[in-house]
Amino acid sequence: MSASDERHSRTVLTGIVGDTLQPIARNIPVGEPPELPPNSELRVIGKRVNRVDAVPKVTGEARYTFDVQLPGMLYARIASSTVPHARIKSIDTSAAEAYPGVKAVHILDRVLSIAQLRDPSVEANERFPLVRYNGQPIAAVAATSMRAAKAAAKLVRIEYERLPHVTTLEGAMADDAPVVFPGPTEQAATAGGGGAPPNLPQKGNLRGPARGGLGGGGRGDVQQGFAQADYIVERDYRTQVQTHTPMETHGLVADWRDEELTLYASTQFTLSVRDEAADVFKLPKEKIRVISEYTGGGFGAKFGIGNYGALAIHLSRKARAPVRLMLDRREEHVSVGNRPSSLQRLKLGARRDGTVTALQVESFGTGGVAAGAGVGFAHTAMYAIPNLSVEHYDVFTDAGPCAAFRAPGQVQGIFALEQALDELAHELGMDPLAVREKIDTNDTDDARARKVERRIGAERARWSQRRPTGADQGPVKRGIGVAQSQWAYIVHGTTTCEVRIRGDGSVVALTGAQDIGTGTRTVMAQTVAEELGLRADDVDTRIGDSRYPAGPASGGSRVTSSITPAARNAAYLAARDLAARVAQSLGASTEDIIFQDGRVFARGRPERGMTFVEAVKTANFDEIVHRADRREDYDGYRAKLGDLHISRHGIGGVQFAQIAVDTETGVVKVERIVAVHDCGRPINPKLIESQIYGGVIQGVSYALYEERHLDPGTGVQLNANIDQYKIVGSRETPAIEVHLIEQLGRQSSTDARGVAEPANVATAAAIANAFYNATGKRIFTLPMTPANVLAALRAEDQPEDRS
Amino acid sequence: MMELSLTVNGRRCTVHVDPATTLVEVLRDELGLTGTKIGCDRGACSACTVWLDGEVVASCMTFALDARDKQVTTIEGLAQGEQLHPVQQAFVEHDAMQCGFCTPGMVMSCAHLAERNPDCTLDDVRGAVSGHLCRCGAYPNIFKATLAAAAAMRQRKGGNT
Amino acid sequence: MSSLQWIDAKSVDEAATLLSADDSGTTIAKAGGIDLLDLIKEGIVAPARIVNLQRIDALRGVQFDDAKGLRLGSLTTLAEIASNAAIRQRYPALAAAAAHAATPQVRNAATIGGNLLQRPRCWYFRNEFFHAARAEGGREQSQYGAIFDNAKTTMMHASTPATALLAYDASVHVAGKAGRSRTIALGDFLLPPDFDRDRDTTLGRDEVVTHISVPPLKAGTRAAYHKQTERDSYDWPICDVAVVLTLTNRKVEAARIVAGAVAPVPRRMTASEDLLRSREIDEGVAAEAARAAVRGATPTDKNSYKVPVLETVIRRTISAAMT
Repeated sequence: MSASDERHSRTVLTGIVGDTLQPIARNIPVGEPPELPPNSELRVIGKRVNRVDAVPKVTGEARYTFDVQLPGMLYARIASSTVPHARIKSIDTSAAEAYPGVKAVHILDRVLSIAQLRDPSVEANERFPLVRYNGQPIAAVAATSMRAAKAAAKLVRIEYERLPHVTTLEGAMADDAPVVFPGPTEQAATAGGGGAPPNLPQKGNLRGPARGGLGGGGRGDVQQGFAQADYIVERDYRTQVQTHTPMETHGLVADWRDEELTLYASTQFTLSVRDEAADVFKLPKEKIRVISEYTGGGFGAKFGIGNYGALAIHLSRKARAPVRLMLDRREEHVSVGNRPSSLQRLKLGARRDGTVTALQVESFGTGGVAAGAGVGFAHTAMYAIPNLSVEHYDVFTDAGPCAAFRAPGQVQGIFALEQALDELAHELGMDPLAVREKIDTNDTDDARARKVERRIGAERARWSQRRPTGADQGPVKRGIGVAQSQWAYIVHGTTTCEVRIRGDGSVVALTGAQDIGTGTRTVMAQTVAEELGLRADDVDTRIGDSRYPAGPASGGSRVTSSITPAARNAAYLAARDLAARVAQSLGASTEDIIFQDGRVFARGRPERGMTFVEAVKTANFDEIVHRADRREDYDGYRAKLGDLHISRHGIGGVQFAQIAVDTETGVVKVERIVAVHDCGRPINPKLIESQIYGGVIQGVSYALYEERHLDPGTGVQLNANIDQYKIVGSRETPAIEVHLIEQLGRQSSTDARGVAEPANVATAAAIANAFYNATGKRIFTLPMTPANVLAALRAEDQPEDRS
Repeated sequence: MMELSLTVNGRRCTVHVDPATTLVEVLRDELGLTGTKIGCDRGACSACTVWLDGEVVASCMTFALDARDKQVTTIEGLAQGEQLHPVQQAFVEHDAMQCGFCTPGMVMSCAHLAERNPDCTLDDVRGAVSGHLCRCGAYPNIFKATLAAAAAMRQRKGGNT
Repeated sequence: MSSLQWIDAKSVDEAATLLSADDSGTTIAKAGGIDLLDLIKEGIVAPARIVNLQRIDALRGVQFDDAKGLRLGSLTTLAEIASNAAIRQRYPALAAAAAHAATPQVRNAATIGGNLLQRPRCWYFRNEFFHAARAEGGREQSQYGAIFDNAKTTMMHASTPATALLAYDASVHVAGKAGRSRTIALGDFLLPPDFDRDRDTTLGRDEVVTHISVPPLKAGTRAAYHKQTERDSYDWPICDVAVVLTLTNRKVEAARIVAGAVAPVPRRMTASEDLLRSREIDEGVAAEAARAAVRGATPTDKNSYKVPVLETVIRRTISAAMT
């Protein structure tokens, strides 16, 4: 189907089902299928269908990259730097090469996934890439066994000329700090939303200021705004470095052949693997095939080939054999991404009635040797704030690079912003929800969703019965808090789906997109099944192969919003094609052929129809193949950054947290979260609930436990494992109540939007606000470990409560 | 190299291993049973959980030679042919997974609990998976699935007596 | 090519002979193998030879007798201790400590002998880097390190069952070649962790732990144990506390209060013990005893929060022992 600019006006019902559904005229591209009714009128979409690939996952049959075993395959290990900042004087690989079983050794000549010097000539005379953090990959060894590869990697001798280093944010901001990069840098975006704004000034380790993320920025005059304010809240907030820790580490199996390079990748975007491999190895894209059957989690960090992938490909080329390189847990923590830290200075001014007059944000964050440590776009995009100034600085340190991490920046930014608003509400003696009511008034779908979500959530969380601040007399104090979420509604520009109906009545749907656990196969199967009157299980979905039609990246909460309209459009064409072939035998016109509950019949005459398989046999063909694209949103986009298309509408969400603080031990327990969310039209509430559980749990984990610890003397990560890098486990999982609303935005043929990121954004802030309700003290520093909690409870500089 | 004979999913196997080899390495690399995963390789995430003589162990922290002459059950041996174990079936119905990488280990621990104690409570389930890490956060559904499977197994047991 | 040699010892004597034949320290005895595998994987030890103790039946078994007390074979797993009916009833603090150690999977394999012999969990110790690059120094202490007796090291012994065993006044029985054996009070067995030694106990290189004995309980004994963690699922302690009280006519006749993870080895809180003696315990007395315990703590900037946490846990555990 070729995209056409031709449009026609249709009157459609838009808004929130059961609340604000209203007719509106939309200019819809010609060829788009008719709009879907609310989910209650559908058979497969909107239903709690089982994940279609659940069985292979519970039986161990699902094959991850870690499980790929090819004939003659070699195992690879990386030799990494053991110093935080140095010039490499020499590398001696002779002992490694001589080790029994070793087939190839490769030294990295270019470090990927970190900031790059704007003027590379500054370091053009270096023989090897400079070492800028402890654990930076330098070389790799491929051998016939893992044991041999490990032993040989240790034999790579690297001689360093040490350079002064700095690992802390404060240290790197000092005037006399060692400089991580000798000149201005750039950080290209990844498909996952990583990267940093281009062409910013850089002085020492400070790069910036950037003024607002995702095309946002300042407005008005903040000084004037503060002059109009009756109350001003001014606070510093600190957040820690969090590592992604997917259960399957980053890794790649490279199989270099003269005719084709095949890459099995644990990735969030098959095509980013292909494209980066093509770029690094100067290969035509058609000569690279990327396969990703199952990916064991990603959370934003698994894009491109990375240094490990480049090494695996080099080794495969040298050894003329397939090479598997999976990172170990330490390497995973250290070298392939993290959520950067932040130090945020917020100044928020408001009138007595809760009208916010001005917001000023100055933030510093370190993503180690990568840029992109901003604090999101909520300041700009979420509330009606007339006077706004946002300035963000990246601070380079000798630490592993940051990468996009589930709602990059937004999680940090909202932790501070929503706490500042809560404090403001208490200062003004207002209900925190009433303050949101006052300022959450933008003309966007996310603002409209949050309005409904506040009401539902307040009821479920019994908000009106909440107790005054610090009501408990005993050492364990309980409280509840609320915070709001916002994420961008993102569409992946180049998204295509192919639907095939075979002569035997079987149906196949294909896309190159991968599944990192969100349910790509399932939502695609449901969408196709709905159109063909089948069950989701009847649709054989093929994904995770770059030979299939181009699918979206699993990043930015965009898979469902991108793939389901393409799938529906392709299935719609296939259905109409089949309808035309059977219309005559059903004695009806093509337009009147209905596909429903496994049957094909003429409108109004279901009893005279036939089964889907009979219809296919009647039509008598070998195969019908239809491809369709994800058309642009009917109202267009606010911004297009490559394939990352951003709507002016966002995704909302409101979360309420109930916690217990043991004020004697400093242990915080999150008891219950009420999570009210929107994601356009929910395609599969069962899977959406799973994602929201996951977002909330990661939010609890970020708020309470997770923190990367570096040794300042050496830059070594001290807790690069699972037992001391602390993450929520079974006993820390709160009771989570999910409530979903159905919002029909009428911007695409399915109205679907994502939910992975919005579910993770508000949790830490809601917990922090509950901490205040429980204890009467604010906690400005994450994570809420006993050390930080007891310090916060002792702190003198604390707000006064007028509510 | 040392000879190692063990019974895996009812089948007697003999392999030759370096004594430093762990059980999970034998299962995955020698026997091709890649359903058992390695998440941390230090016994802290339990993705590698198998049953050794009927008890859950971390196969990444088990010397292969300590499995000599023992019965090993892996995720591949849990279903009876096409018939999923009740815990597997409940995991499917309750969507007790996302990426699925921790799932085989989780299933082994939850199936062990449900078989050992069909009267298990939510606290028991939390305890049984207290050493497991699910980074996607599937815990609420893992709890529901295991309790549902245990209830089904209880009923089945009751029906037989 | 094998990376190491594995020998199944059939007897304590054989094991001790094999261990004594090596003075380079590259022969290592193995029970459950958990800590050994961890140390091998982290690159901290590289044994040339493993002496497997798992086939020595003499090291197995749990025996309890009201008159003689408790005898734990060194191969007894933590899971066995946690579920043993006699231990749960008579030595509840020990059962609780075993039940809260590690993960269910690890408890099924880890033995009490190996648990007492494990190396510290210090961030620096468990990292090959800091063994290879010792000269770099500059080690900043973590927020979890020792707050008592920490002038030389802030590393701490990692065994939490040791906290309970010390409170029950347990002894470690070891045997060498030719039937030589020794009995060592647990407090004398454990040494402050040290990078420069290959063990943190007084176990001889040619000795193996055969069993642990716990004396019989006097009438009127009450006990409690609490491991304070950041997370409940699976975590190392901020501190753990075992309290064993013997009461006569509601007055404390004897008290043993031990705190783990606050000093290089589990520490008797003698100031609390002295304060409780001959007194009736109520909440005020428990609080007084807890306050006395933390007097003299020498925390660093990073771990000073452990002082009030320890005080709280001692107070609560004394109270728990009374209920």
